[in-house]
Amino acid sequence: MTWFEFVGSGVALMGVVLSLLAAWGVIDFPSPLSRMHAATKSASLGVASIAVGAGLAAGSPALIGVGSMVAVFMFVTAPISGHLLGRAAYLAGDVSKLIRDDYAGVSMTEPHRTDASNVFSPTRFAALVVVWVVLWRDPGFGNWVGGVLVASLVETAVRSRRLRVRPAGVIPFLVAYFGLILRSNLRVAWEVLTPSNEAIREAVVAVPLESSSRSATLLVANAVSFTPGTLSVDLVGHTLYVHVLQFESHEAVTAEVRKVELLASRLLPAIDHAP
Amino acid sequence: MNAVVTISQIALGLGALVALVRAIKGPSLADRIIAVDLILLLTAGGFAMEAARGGTQLLWPLVTVVALVAFTGTVFVARFIEWRDTR
Repeated sequence: MTWFEFVGSGVALMGVVLSLLAAWGVIDFPSPLSRMHAATKSASLGVASIAVGAGLAAGSPALIGVGSMVAVFMFVTAPISGHLLGRAAYLAGDVSKLIRDDYAGVSMTEPHRTDASNVFSPTRFAALVVVWVVLWRDPGFGNWVGGVLVASLVETAVRSRRLRVRPAGVIPFLVAYFGLILRSNLRVAWEVLTPSNEAIREAVVAVPLESSSRSATLLVANAVSFTPGTLSVDLVGHTLYVHVLQFESHEAVTAEVRKVELLASRLLPAIDHAP
Repeated sequence: MNAVVTISQIALGLGALVALVRAIKGPSLADRIIAVDLILLLTAGGFAMEAARGGTQLLWPLVTVVALVAFTGTVFVARFIEWRDTR
């Protein structure tokens, strides 16, 4: 057994254990929202570690790259589907066990449409053309034309503001984000392994957000699903509704969300104010 | 390595069975889609382990595709529940 295989199997086995915890949480937890805590947090880190571990065990740089890409994909998609499913789970599930519910009454309003202006970005356009040509691995004339066509299509389809990211904030954000993921997984593991469901004190709490920029608000709403013990249910204006597994006090939940906000504000400068 | 792969796949299969119980029991549609999403992710993990066995590398695209199906499926069902329950 080579060194790579040894480390790879270790990482993969850790992922398998996390996946089993997720499966047990999904069967054991009392409500759809609490089951989502297990499914979103443990399963995504679990499958991400399996993919990285499998890539490491194979030992070639290309496969480690592929495994890491799968892991990145998991960490990007898990909060998004968690955020979307949160509201659905609230609507479809039994909410009578919540010991505090700030979302009652708000929940039946129509899904809120976002209006974003379409800003043409030359950098994004050029990047799309280059990516297209690189993907074909053939800088022939036809591929450049194809690239311009595809980039035009994407530019007309995408409806987003210009997004500015502070380059200096990227690494600290990723490190802190990964720390959050690990801590939230430990928390879920603890909840799954302690047998009594009576100890779970679920609540949906309204937390007013401080960040003014829309992209920061969205980032916080999605990242909150990976902070320990919290899961975002809905974002109405600048109020985030958060589901917590162990409700202690409103202040404790707010403090947890503030940490994520602080992190997001370092990554995204507040330039795109909501209209 | 082969032993590790086999043990992991058996464990992931057991996990998927446990999740399947939740998918059948429900009671709400949200519970079912959470469980099905988990089953698909465990399947993707199983394929990744199989790729680690080193027989074929054709399994990696499959890992990506299964994970992508899990994500899009969950998002679609979430939107469906919202549409159904807020009318």
